[in-house]
Amino acid sequence: MPKTAGLPPGTLVMLILRVLRPGSLHGYAIAQRIRQLSSEQLSVEEGSLYPALQKLLANGWVKADWTTSDSGREVRSYRLTARGLKQLDAEQGDYRRTAEAIAAILASA
Amino acid sequence: MTMWWRRVWHLINRRRFERDLAREMREHREMMPDSKGFGDSHRLLERSRDAWGWNWLDEASQDMRLGVRALWKSPVFAVTAVLILSFGVGLNLTLYQIATVAMIRPPAVQGAETLARFYRYTPSFHGSGFPYAATQLIRQQNTALSAVLVESGTSAVWGRDSTDEIDVSFVSPNWFAELGYDAIAGRPLAEGIDDGADASPSVVVSHEFWQTRLGADPAVLGTTVYVNARPVTLVGIARPEFPGLDLDHPAAWIPIEQREYLFPDSPFLRTFGSDNTRMYGRLREGLSPAAARESLRSTMGALARQEPDHFAKDEWLEPLMAAQNFMTAQGRAEAWFFLSLLTGLTGLVLVVAAANIGNLVLSRAAGRARELGVRIALGARRSRIARQLLVETVPLGVLGAAGALLLTAWSARLVAVLSGLPPYLDFTPDWRSILVSTGLTLGALAVVGALPAWKVAQQELMLAIRDGGQQVSLRLDRARVRRSMLAAQVAGSCLILVLAGMAARRVQHALSSDLGFEFARVLVMDAKLGNHGVSGSAARAYWNAVKERVLSNPETEAVAVVTAPPLGGRVHENGFPEAPGLSVLLQKIDPTYFSLMEIPIVAGRTFTDRDPAESSAIISRRLALDMYRSTDVIGRGFPRSSPDRIVVGVAEDAHSIMITATNVAELYLPLETSDYNLVFLLARARGDASRLVPVMREAARVDSRVIPAVRLMRDDFDRRLRGPRLATAVAGSVGIVTLVLACLGIFGVVSYSAALRTKEMGIHLALGAKRSSILGLVARHVMSPVAIGMLLGLAVAVPVGRALSAGPFYLESVDPAVFALAATAFLLAGGAAALLPAVRVLRADPIRALRHE
Repeated sequence: MPKTAGLPPGTLVMLILRVLRPGSLHGYAIAQRIRQLSSEQLSVEEGSLYPALQKLLANGWVKADWTTSDSGREVRSYRLTARGLKQLDAEQGDYRRTAEAIAAILASA
Repeated sequence: MTMWWRRVWHLINRRRFERDLAREMREHREMMPDSKGFGDSHRLLERSRDAWGWNWLDEASQDMRLGVRALWKSPVFAVTAVLILSFGVGLNLTLYQIATVAMIRPPAVQGAETLARFYRYTPSFHGSGFPYAATQLIRQQNTALSAVLVESGTSAVWGRDSTDEIDVSFVSPNWFAELGYDAIAGRPLAEGIDDGADASPSVVVSHEFWQTRLGADPAVLGTTVYVNARPVTLVGIARPEFPGLDLDHPAAWIPIEQREYLFPDSPFLRTFGSDNTRMYGRLREGLSPAAARESLRSTMGALARQEPDHFAKDEWLEPLMAAQNFMTAQGRAEAWFFLSLLTGLTGLVLVVAAANIGNLVLSRAAGRARELGVRIALGARRSRIARQLLVETVPLGVLGAAGALLLTAWSARLVAVLSGLPPYLDFTPDWRSILVSTGLTLGALAVVGALPAWKVAQQELMLAIRDGGQQVSLRLDRARVRRSMLAAQVAGSCLILVLAGMAARRVQHALSSDLGFEFARVLVMDAKLGNHGVSGSAARAYWNAVKERVLSNPETEAVAVVTAPPLGGRVHENGFPEAPGLSVLLQKIDPTYFSLMEIPIVAGRTFTDRDPAESSAIISRRLALDMYRSTDVIGRGFPRSSPDRIVVGVAEDAHSIMITATNVAELYLPLETSDYNLVFLLARARGDASRLVPVMREAARVDSRVIPAVRLMRDDFDRRLRGPRLATAVAGSVGIVTLVLACLGIFGVVSYSAALRTKEMGIHLALGAKRSSILGLVARHVMSPVAIGMLLGLAVAVPVGRALSAGPFYLESVDPAVFALAATAFLLAGGAAALLPAVRVLRADPIRALRHE
């Protein structure tokens, strides 16, 4: 079983877009940031980031460039494009509505 | 669009992108304190590739490689399949190519949209010939045309002291410029230089004539040559691609106003009495054909008032545009009908070919049941298996399409040469033919690839791993697809064989000389008196003198003049309401015609000199039967409902003009004085006809201006049969090839099932079964599809043969002998194809096969 079980399906893309919003990050840093921001609650099979990132690249939501990291390593960092930002807004909105609806059902029962 | 482009960009730079990704993932793992949580990088790479949506392409190219490798490994199959496919597609493509180039495509001239050929129409008549003088009046008096082009073809003698005739086209000087061509050497005929009868006479020769007759010698330019023994300057050589507008290819073009210089006594340029000029015109900018027709009505009205004897009051000019290949809507519809009939037949060959390869592919797939089973076991979906089998046939298709193009490039040219199509027609396959070839091949591949692929993928392939594919192979062997493909092959080739037989019978009938007349010792002479202005009673006197001189030679048995010589003439075709569907060919003849051609008179008598020329008629038996339901019609009025003549005789049927037609009859009238400038002289020799040739030539020189052309009628006969012979040869070879294909199909199916049943046969033999019953066991398998196919093919041949027995094909209508012959040929060949593999298996001693288990 992949460890992404904890992550609701389809949300990985949204999370990546979200952590890229403040500025560009490389793959490892994206994984770290997701773990940090979820207070270590969501663990992702880190490699599955890459198929997701490729999908983002293919759709033109992010751009990638090779840069040198603070530690002097050659890394590929991703930054959000205008279309990516729009996509993030749309996905966040959708997610929020769904989550609220689910929460409402759970609260009523 | 940008997303699409991004993906294509990724596809092009895939290697670099994937290297980057791998490196990135490696870096990521190295940064992780515990790299186990990263996952399997190969699987991740695979999923990353998914994101770009190119996986199907990868799989397809994999399948393609597999297919190429599989083909490479079985070269016999590959070559056979490619040849069959090339043949099937190539035949269709050849037809397409010839049809489009020779019938549909407009002539290659400048501004085909505004160039019209003009026909003369009245409500009851239409014709294409104008008196030259009339075309010039029309040219001066119209506002619809920016240019008028005229052409009049005839033959003329080439060389100073020779009697060699060539086809000469007399054209208006604007001919080359209006059609958009210059000369390849020298200059074309041109306005400003070649206008007027007093211009220095010049001639432009065709490229072909220059190459063949003038030895491709550039020094001939500017020299004086002799046409009809008169000096003319050779000013230019036309381009090889310079087209004729009527599929004609004259050897030389001469300004039309020089016509009377070359034929000194002909009133060609002044007379309104002969209709031997074709007229073309360039419509003014923006004028529609309909508008041009209306605008020209007043011009024609003026012409009718000026020349009431030659132009009718209600006559108009009908423009037929070059862009429509000078065809009327009806003409185009007929051409398309003719082509779709032919296409149906060649399409059938493609079906046979495709079904054949389909069966081969299915046999091969069945042999690979185990391999496919392993793939299913490893998790491949059925659709993936079907797709693999389908994609594997693509290299076959590519090679087949290429082969078809090669075959067409060669065969279209060959057919064009054999059937005498002009050399300027370009049969090189263009992008359209490549498109058609690809389309046809794709269609064939749908049968060759998709049907077997779908059938195989349906099977329980997993089972194949256990029994080595026995079950699956047996089931595929019995598959209905396979049997119907075999039946389709047999039906198609049977039908084509029968049709080829009908065509052959038609030629055979023509050859076996039940033509109704006897031509072997007859000669025809043409003196073209009209060219020298001899007509009326002068022409009659000329012919009487010539007849007397020819008859005085002891070699001569009989002479007669006639307006349309058998096997070579052009005649008026008439229809009569009392004989619907019958085309009645009118000939005017000397009384001796019947005895000369050995056409029996079945009732009454031939004409005598006392018969009034304008009120007597002789009709053929067929016309008598169709019009009066009897041959006892002597003395009755003709035509039956509105008689203006009396029938004096009934002649036996003799289709002397349209020898292969079935719906024609003959009407003979006595010659009138006005006919004598158009007649031909027939002479029957007592012995060898060729000995009379110099006698007739000599006799024709009663008038020293006449340059006679003498032909043997048997040469005309050979010429007339060239078309049907060619058609029969083509149909016959196609028939034989499809027969071979069908036999190959039967052979393949039987040998495959015999191989599958080797064990079963061994057991039968071991238990004491007779070898003959084993043969039956194997062959029985193909019996029903072959029988069904044959019956179907023969049954369909009946209506198809009926449809083709009318023009323009004139096949021998449903002929039991042909059916029997085709069926026998098929049974023999098919039987051999079915028994051979079975016998081979028996020879190999199937009992031995049992020991291997």
